[in-house]
Amino acid sequence: MRLELQKITKQFPGVLANDRISISVDKGQVLGLLGENGAGKTTLMNILSGLYKPDSGKILIDGKERIFRDPAQAIDAGIGMVHQHFMLVPVFDVTESVVLGNEPTKGPLGSFDRATARAQVAELSKRHGLHVDPDAKIESLPVGVRQRVEILKALYRKSDILVLDEPSAVLTPQETEELFEIIRGLARGGTSVIFITHKLNEVIAVADKITVLRRGAVAGETIPKKATAAKLAEMMVGREVQLTVSRSKSKVAEPILQVKGLNVLNDAGGLAVNSATFDVRSGEILAVAGVQGNGQTELVEALTGLRLVDSGTVVLEKKPLHAGSPREIAMAGVAHIPEDRNRDGMVKGMTIAENYILNTYHLPQFNKNGLLNRKAIAAATEQAVKDFDIRTPSISTDIASLSGGNQQKVIVAREFSRNVRLVIAAQPTRGLDVGSIEYIHRRIVEQRDAGAAVLIVSTELDEVLALGDRVAVMYEGRIVGILDAKEATRERVGLLMGGITK
Amino acid sequence: MNKRKPVAAARAKTTTSAPAKRSVSVGDGADAHQQLIASRVRAGLFALFTLLSLAITAGSAGVEGNFAFWVDKVGGTDVAFSVPVVLLWAAVTAGFGAMAALQLVRGASFRWRLAIGLVSPVLVFALLTRLLDGTTANLTVFFTSTLLYTVPVGIGALAGIVSERSGILNISVEGKLLFGAMIGSIASSITGIAIAGPIAGAIFGALVSLFFAWLCIRYRVDQIIAGTVINIGALGVTTFAYLRILQPYSEFNRPIGITPIQIPFLSDIPILGPILFSLSPYFYIAVGFVLFFTYMIYRTRWGLRLRAAGEQPNAAGTVGIDVVKLRYRAMLVAGLLAGFAGSYISLSGTGGFGINTSAGQGFIALAAVIFGAWNPIYAFGAALIFGMTSSATTLLSGLGVLIPPQILLSMPYIVTIIVVAGLIGRVRAPASAGRPYDQG
Repeated sequence: MRLELQKITKQFPGVLANDRISISVDKGQVLGLLGENGAGKTTLMNILSGLYKPDSGKILIDGKERIFRDPAQAIDAGIGMVHQHFMLVPVFDVTESVVLGNEPTKGPLGSFDRATARAQVAELSKRHGLHVDPDAKIESLPVGVRQRVEILKALYRKSDILVLDEPSAVLTPQETEELFEIIRGLARGGTSVIFITHKLNEVIAVADKITVLRRGAVAGETIPKKATAAKLAEMMVGREVQLTVSRSKSKVAEPILQVKGLNVLNDAGGLAVNSATFDVRSGEILAVAGVQGNGQTELVEALTGLRLVDSGTVVLEKKPLHAGSPREIAMAGVAHIPEDRNRDGMVKGMTIAENYILNTYHLPQFNKNGLLNRKAIAAATEQAVKDFDIRTPSISTDIASLSGGNQQKVIVAREFSRNVRLVIAAQPTRGLDVGSIEYIHRRIVEQRDAGAAVLIVSTELDEVLALGDRVAVMYEGRIVGILDAKEATRERVGLLMGGITK
Repeated sequence: MNKRKPVAAARAKTTTSAPAKRSVSVGDGADAHQQLIASRVRAGLFALFTLLSLAITAGSAGVEGNFAFWVDKVGGTDVAFSVPVVLLWAAVTAGFGAMAALQLVRGASFRWRLAIGLVSPVLVFALLTRLLDGTTANLTVFFTSTLLYTVPVGIGALAGIVSERSGILNISVEGKLLFGAMIGSIASSITGIAIAGPIAGAIFGALVSLFFAWLCIRYRVDQIIAGTVINIGALGVTTFAYLRILQPYSEFNRPIGITPIQIPFLSDIPILGPILFSLSPYFYIAVGFVLFFTYMIYRTRWGLRLRAAGEQPNAAGTVGIDVVKLRYRAMLVAGLLAGFAGSYISLSGTGGFGINTSAGQGFIALAAVIFGAWNPIYAFGAALIFGMTSSATTLLSGLGVLIPPQILLSMPYIVTIIVVAGLIGRVRAPASAGRPYDQG
């Protein structure tokens, strides 16, 4: 079926999320919808799936206008969504998850006809080459398989238009390649596919046609043959972008951080980090790769004193840190850019100046007999705003009102305001626009060049490969490999991310 | 800082012992590790119980436990027998001992809930006989009252299960019981029709439940707070109405009681007949409800969708299920059930409605929901245990056993606290119960 969106507009309080967006996809075509966070992709898809109503504009299927009042009507019209955050019930099995909402029934009470449902799901997964055990419980399946269940859900509803929202965010490169195979197969069978992503290489690899969104509007359209990553990035951001960080060779010296046999428990009491041993040397960036949820969060929390170390040692320049409080660790020269800046990075509702001194307010230069030295704080913050190019009306502005990129700059400025021996940056660029990503990367590399040791944790393989002088890969709590930048190819790191050490 | 130091010191100790422990938990992940700890705690508790009951066994030599049954019909001929109390306590000791051992050996896979279910009836008898100290207890009365005490708790638990499976944490069961009891009594008194009581109680319970659902869904009021409001409101309103209307105009509080029925043939079975087949129709309806809703929740489309809404409402919403409507409907059903259960309290006896006549049975029902892991049959089993405790209390106080009545009366609540707080391991609640649903 041919799907056409004409001049879709959607206004939220204070934001024009979609501004007269027109896109189309033909039968059997794969449309790559490219855009940064906040470009309006998700809003557009929520309109298409019936969750939001557009303020104006039309949805046409095979030339006929359709109006979706709720998700059920969008499903009836043949639109199948695979959401970025999977919409599955963990305690259900595959059969139940696939048929939920369109269950075969029998008898006067509406008894669930499991046998029929199971047979249908088995047949469907065989026909499309999506191998899934219909009796497996969702919570026991790896994310890659869960995604297949999501696709089966759409196929079960006879969707002719399949929409995938950031489908590769939780996959290893190999799983992503498998997903592409599935998408190509479906397209050959006549399904139209809309593939939403912010990853340039992926659209080039899988799409037949590429539409780029920027700030809620269509910024351009092209085909993969004519497109290059640089061109697409330019369309996406609106100016020329440097895709790779330029950096000199690192001058590696003595180890600064030494971690030995580190075990850390997660909230449920299970082993999240399993005998991690590594060191980070002065003047190098060690990038930790891995699919989300493989112990990276707990590793960073343990290193920064936010989580108790179960056993093992962490030594920073001969000073043991594994029993240190967050303040002791920070004062010892560790800068921490936390994974979730909203939760651990700043206090919303407090000003930029207050956030800037969050972990230095107790030092004599800001504090006399328990009273804050407003003048000194203001002067230091003003300087940081200038140095880090933080776009804000004033230093007494609530940090919540800044853009994500500027919030992150405040955090980076604060962490780099002390004597820095080790930088621990977890997902330092998550959710930021390309311009801010560039800036943050540059600042981190500067710290390295100044002789600090840098530990970056990222689930974005591109970020890991761009920044890491060495790349460590975490899988199920273990460091399954540490590679030099030269050996760290996408392929090898990808295999390690899937736990394959050969 | 100060708090961390001792931990740091303790850490040095765990470092040495850790590897042995870890070899069990690695690979199985977090759950297994925690379950292992939980099962060891349970094993320790069971061992403690074993020692306690062993001590009592030693102290009960020579005491006889005397029982009697009515053979053919209620109030009919007696058949009496006696058991040495030592024997009962020996059995309890053996039971707890076995549980402690099995729990330790089998770890997390030991079905301790079932074991508690098996041991507790014997324990209740052992306790009873020990306290009775030779006085004869009529077991027909004991068993029938056990089953009848189970009715409001069991149906109340069902109401809790239906609403929580749909994603709404329902602590307002208590309030609905109270309203159901009062409205049931008034309706029955005014109309003079026995069946008007339960029907009116159920309808009013449904109305209260819909109001509660409206607060939770439309206005996203915290579900615990909304439930508390309903409970306090119910106590206030019914007490006021009782003092100002039902007491001065007592014709409004003289309901036609729902009397026990004799099931033909079955009620003639010796001993069993008077216990099982001569009860209030409420009991048979309660059993019917439990079976019906077990089937509905686990085997039908309605149940599949209900569970999906309670676990992952977004998963249900994105496949076109109207989660809001589904939750309202579930709350309607839960309200009907709770109101119906409430009407039992005022209509089964002769007293009609009284102040706070539900006396916390709605909360005990919620404990049964948790103990029964949101499964109607298990929850009904839990309700039976609570019913047995209440029945034992009544029996003991009736026979004038020398225990302060306050302690006796608090027994069911103490059992509730122990069951919910102490012995509960990891029961899995519906993941989204208590959280408002956001579309999109």
